[in-house]
Amino acid sequence: MTVDAAARTEAVTAIVRRVLEAPQAGPEEDFFELGGDSLLATRVLSAIAREFGVELTFDDFLMAPTGAALAERVAALGAGVRERTVLQVPMAEAPAERSEVGA
Amino acid sequence: MTRAVVVGAGLAGLTAATALARHGVEVTVLEARDRVGGRTRGIEVAPDAWADAGAAYLGDRHTELHLLLSELGIKTTPTTMHGASRFDLGQDARTEAGRFPPLAAVALGDLFDRLAELTARIDPVAPWRTPGAEQLDRQTAAEWAAEQLSHPDARTFFPLFLGEMMAADPAAVSVLHMAFYLRSGGGLRYLNAFEGGAQQDRVAGGAHQVCERLAAGLGDRVRTGEPVRTVHQEATGATVVTERAAYPADAVVLALPPLLAEALSYQPPLPAPRAGRHTTPGCAIKVHLVYPAPLWRRHGLSGWSVSATGPLLSTVDDSPADAGPGVLTGFVTGAEAHRFAALTPEQRRAAAEAHAARLFPELPPPTDCLVTDWVNDPYSHGCYAALLGPGDWLAHGPQLAAAHQRLFFAGTETSTEFFGLMEGAIRSGHRAAAQLLATC
Ligand SMILES: Cc1cc2nc3c(=O)[nH]c(=O)nc-3n(C[C@H](O)[C@H](O)[C@H](O)COP(=O)(O)OP(=O)(O)OC[C@H]3O[C@@H](n4cnc5c(N)ncnc54)[C@H](O)[C@@H]3O)c2cc1C
Repeated sequence: MTVDAAARTEAVTAIVRRVLEAPQAGPEEDFFELGGDSLLATRVLSAIAREFGVELTFDDFLMAPTGAALAERVAALGAGVRERTVLQVPMAEAPAERSEVGA
Repeated sequence: MTRAVVVGAGLAGLTAATALARHGVEVTVLEARDRVGGRTRGIEVAPDAWADAGAAYLGDRHTELHLLLSELGIKTTPTTMHGASRFDLGQDARTEAGRFPPLAAVALGDLFDRLAELTARIDPVAPWRTPGAEQLDRQTAAEWAAEQLSHPDARTFFPLFLGEMMAADPAAVSVLHMAFYLRSGGGLRYLNAFEGGAQQDRVAGGAHQVCERLAAGLGDRVRTGEPVRTVHQEATGATVVTERAAYPADAVVLALPPLLAEALSYQPPLPAPRAGRHTTPGCAIKVHLVYPAPLWRRHGLSGWSVSATGPLLSTVDDSPADAGPGVLTGFVTGAEAHRFAALTPEQRRAAAEAHAARLFPELPPPTDCLVTDWVNDPYSHGCYAALLGPGDWLAHGPQLAAAHQRLFFAGTETSTEFFGLMEGAIRSGHRAAAQLLATC
C-alpha cells in the first residue's frame, strides 16, 4: 500500500468511526455489522464527498461497506474527477448525534 | 378522599386515571366521544382482523408502553418489511431492492447531517432554553430547507421525510419544533427505522385495545358521550361542566391535545395560553387498502412505497400477523392531507385506488378502501400531534405541562419525551397523576 492509499484508508475509516460512534472500528470491519444502517451510510457518503470531492452512490456503498473498500472506491473514482454538484453550500463538520445513534 | 375529574379517555387520560385510582383517588373520566382511545382506533377490516386507523407502531425505547402492554396482557408483532420497495419520485414507478430511495445518497446524507446537527443542539428537557432558541423558533422548516438544501433530491426528500416523521408540512413548523421532535423521539435514525427503531413493532390486534382494557379496569368511572365545555376553578374546588352535567372535583386533569384544551372555557381564564396563532393540527389521513391476502409478497414486494406526489405519499404492509386479509396502509400527510381532506368520500377512494394501481400494477383492485380523516375530526383536530409553528415554543412551551392551581395537563404534547407518540401520552399521564398526588 502506498503512503497515499494508507492515508486515504485511515481517513475514510475515521469517517466511519465518527458516524457510527465506534472509535474501535477497523478498516476491514463491515459497516452494517457494526450497527450501521442506510441513513448512517448516507452520512458516511456525504462526509466522503466533503473530504475527497468524490460522490459515491448508495450502490457503491453496498458493494464496499468497509473503510478500506470505500477508500479504494474513492481512489478509483479519483478525487476531483467528478463534479461536486451536491455540496455547494459549505458546511461545518457536523457532530454526530450523541446518545441517539448506535445505541 | 380526593375527587378528581380526568377530561379525555385517550392514552394520557386513562393512564392518569388508572394511576390516580390506584392511589385511592375517586376519579371520573369524561370523554366526549362514544368510544375511548382518542388517537388510537381500531377498524375491523375483516371478521376479527383489525387495522390501526390511528397510532400503530412502537419500538423498544417505548418502555412505558411496553410495560403497560405486558400488564394488560397484550402482545406485539413485528412490522414486516421483507422484499423490494416501490418508488414514484418523478419518473415512472421504480422497484428497488431495499428501502433506500433512488435519490442521490450524498444529497440525503448532507440533509441528515444538517438535521442531526440541529437535533444535537436541542435542550431535550426545556426546548425553549436551547442555545439560539430564538432564531430556531423564528424560522419555518420550509424556510430552513430553502436556505440549506441545494440539491433537488434533498428538496424532494425533505417534505416526504417530515410528513412521514411528524405529519407536518415544512411550512407549518418552526425549525425548533422540527429539531425538538426528532430529538424527543430518539433522534433521526431511531424515528426513521423500522427494525431497531420506532416502527419495529405493532400492537397485535390493534393499539386501540390498550385504552379499551384500561377503561374496562376503570369500569363505570369512565363516562363516554360527555363533551366538556367549561372548567370552573374556585377556592374550595373545581367544577367540570359537560353538555349534560356538572362534575365537582378537587382537581382536574385535562388530557386533551392543546388546541382542543384551548377551546374550552375557563372560569377564571387561564393565566397564559398553551397554544397560539401558529399552532396547527398535525395533518395525517390513513387509507387502508384491503386485499384478500398480502398479495404483494407473492411478487417479492414489501408493500413499502414512497411517492413524491399524493395522495399516498407512503404505503406500508400492515396486514394482521396471522393468515387473513392483506392490508396496505397509505399515509396522506402534510399539505397533501389538506387537499385530500377536501375531496368527497367517493373522490378520495377513487384517488387512493388509482394511486395504488399506479404503484402496484400487479395487484388486483382492493376489496375495500377505508379512509380515516383525522384532520376534520372535531375531537382530535389533527394528528399525529399538534404542530408548533414559529414563536410557539418560546411563547407556550413552558406552559404546556405547567399545573395551574387545581388544573393539571396531560397529553402527548405535554411530554418532552416521545412527544407526539403513544409513549409520550403515557409518560404524560404518569407525570400529571404524580403532580396531582403531590398536592393531596
Ligand atoms: C394516523 C395516526 C398515526 C399515528 N401513528 C403513531 C404511531 O405509529 N406510533 C405512536 O406512538 N403514535 C402515533 N400516533 C400518535 C398517537 O396516537 C398519540 O400520540 C396518542 O394516542 C395521543 O394520546 P393522548 O391521550 O395524548 O391524546 P388523545 O388520544 O387525542 O386523547 C384525547 C381524548 O380527549 C377526548 N376529548 C377531546 N375533546 C374533549 C372534550 N371537550 N371533552 C371530553 N373529551 C374530549 C378525545 O375524544 C380523546 O379521546 C398516531 C396518530 C394518528 C392519528
